[in-house]
Amino acid sequence: MKKVKIIAGISWAFFCLILIIILFPGLNSFSVSVSKLPFMKLNPRYTGGEIANQIIVESCTLDIRKPVFNGFLKEKNSGFVQLDWHGTIPNTIKDSIDYDHDGNKDFCIFIDRKDSKTILYPINKKVISVLISTPTSYGWAVRVELIK
Amino acid sequence: MDNASKIAGMRKSFGKSLLYTLPMFLITFMFMTGGKPNFADPASGLAILTAFLLVNVLYFFMHYTGKTDRYRAVLFIIFALSLSYTLIHNMLEVRKSMSFSQADILECKIPFCHLVIPMMILPAIFTKSIIFPGSIIGGFANISSMIVLWLVATLVLGRGFCSWGCFYGGWDDGFSRIRKRPVIKKISELWKWMPFAVLIMVTLSAALAMMPTYCSWICPFKAVTEFEQVTSVESVAKAGIFLTLFGGLVVVLPVMTRKRTQCSFLCPLGAINSLSNKITPFTVKIDKKACNECFKCVGVCPLYALTPEDIKAGKVSLFCSKCGKCVDACSTKAIHYGIRGIPAGTMKNFSRNLFLFVSFLFMAVFSAGSIISTFQGLLKLIF
Repeated sequence: MKKVKIIAGISWAFFCLILIIILFPGLNSFSVSVSKLPFMKLNPRYTGGEIANQIIVESCTLDIRKPVFNGFLKEKNSGFVQLDWHGTIPNTIKDSIDYDHDGNKDFCIFIDRKDSKTILYPINKKVISVLISTPTSYGWAVRVELIK
Repeated sequence: MDNASKIAGMRKSFGKSLLYTLPMFLITFMFMTGGKPNFADPASGLAILTAFLLVNVLYFFMHYTGKTDRYRAVLFIIFALSLSYTLIHNMLEVRKSMSFSQADILECKIPFCHLVIPMMILPAIFTKSIIFPGSIIGGFANISSMIVLWLVATLVLGRGFCSWGCFYGGWDDGFSRIRKRPVIKKISELWKWMPFAVLIMVTLSAALAMMPTYCSWICPFKAVTEFEQVTSVESVAKAGIFLTLFGGLVVVLPVMTRKRTQCSFLCPLGAINSLSNKITPFTVKIDKKACNECFKCVGVCPLYALTPEDIKAGKVSLFCSKCGKCVDACSTKAIHYGIRGIPAGTMKNFSRNLFLFVSFLFMAVFSAGSIISTFQGLLKLIF
C-alpha cells in the first residue's frame, strides 16, 4: 500500500510537471477551448444586450438594444436600455426612442457631444434617468435606466 | 553555506547545480526568445538577455545554496513591480490615465485578473454568463487565458500559486521584508480565517448585485494597477477604501509584522487556493523524528500557516503557500518539500528538485513578458 501511494504521488507530480511545460505553448488553444464552454459569454449587463433595432440616417447608425433586466436567480425590477450611435455622428443628437416596440415613443434624448451634456425627456413612466452617457471608440453610447 | 544545508544535502556542488539549471536554461531560452534570438533592436535584446540571466542565476543559486525563499522572493517581488509598471505604463500611453472610463466598461476593455474568479462562480452556474466587463478571448489579459493559467497553477501548486504565481503577492511579500524585526509580534490566529469570510461575502454579493463587488469596492491592488475614474461620491468612497486597504494591509501591517497580511487576512482567492492544497501533489512535510521543536518555522511563516500544535502533530496547515521560508529556517531540515504519498523525511532532494522545477518554471515564464517589457522601458529611460 505504501509503495502504491508513493508511485501514485510521483506519477501525479510528473503529470503536473508535464502540464506546466505544455501550459504556455498550449495556452492559446486551451483558452479557445475554455472560451467555448456554455457559460463563457458576457452577461448582457456588460455587453449592453442584443441589438433589437437599427435606425440608419444618412451615415449615422443608431443601435437600440434589448432592455436588460438580468438578475441572479430572476429578473430584476430595474434595468436599462443601451443606445449606441456610430458612423458620422452630428455634434448634437436628438432622437425619440421606442425601446419596447409598442409603436409609441418612450423617451426623447438630447445629447450635446461638445459639452458632454445629455438631457432625457421621459414619456413612458418606466423610463427613469440617464445612467451613462459617454463617448466611445465607435461613437457615443447611452444607458437609460428603466423599471419593469 | 550553513552546516544545516550541508548536513541535509540540499546544497549542491557548482557543477551539479549547473546541471540542474540546464533544463530551466533551455526552456526559459525557448520561451523568452521563441527559439530565435533577435538582437536587431539592442534595447529589446538586452532586456531579454537580462531577464533570462536573472531567472537562471536565481534558479542556479536555489540549487547551489540549498535555500529557496530568498531567491524566489527576488523574482516574485520583481514580477509584482514589473507587472504594475507595465500595466501603468500601457494605460498612461493608451488612456493618459491610470483610471478607466465608463466607455472602457461599456466596450468590455477591462483587463481580467485572477482575483475576479471567486465572484464568477455562482453567476456562471446560475446565469451561464460572466459578470465582468472584459474580453472572453483575444486582447490583453482575456478571461479565458487567465482562467486557464490560474486553474492549472492551482491544480499543480495549490496555494503555492500565492507565492509562485500571483502577480500581486510580491507587493506585501516585499514590504514584509523591510524591517529586520517585527514591531507587532502577536496577531490573533483567528484572523487567518478572514479570507473565507471575505470569500463568502464577495461570492454572494457579486451574485446578487451581478457585478464583481470585490473589484469594485475592496481590491487594494487597484492602487498599483487601474481604478475607476473619480467622478462621483461613490467613486470617491471606492478610492478611499482601496487606498486605505493598500496602505494598511499591503504596506503598513506587513512592515510592522513581517507577515503578508493582505494575503493572510483579506484575499478571497487565497481561500480557494488553500482548499486546493488538498489535491496538489506538492506539499511541505514535517519529519517529527528530526524536529527539535524549536518553532523557528512558526515565527518565520509569512502566512500564519504554522502553529506549535501543527508542528507537534507533524502537519502543515492548508494555509501553506510553499514559499520555503520555514524550510530554509529549519536547522535540522525536519521541515522540507515533499510529494503526496511519500513519507516525511524520505526522498527530500528528489521532492525539492521536482517542486522547484515546476514552481519556478511557472513563475519564470509567467513573469517573463512583464519583466522584459519593464527592462525595455528602463533601458529607454536611461539611454
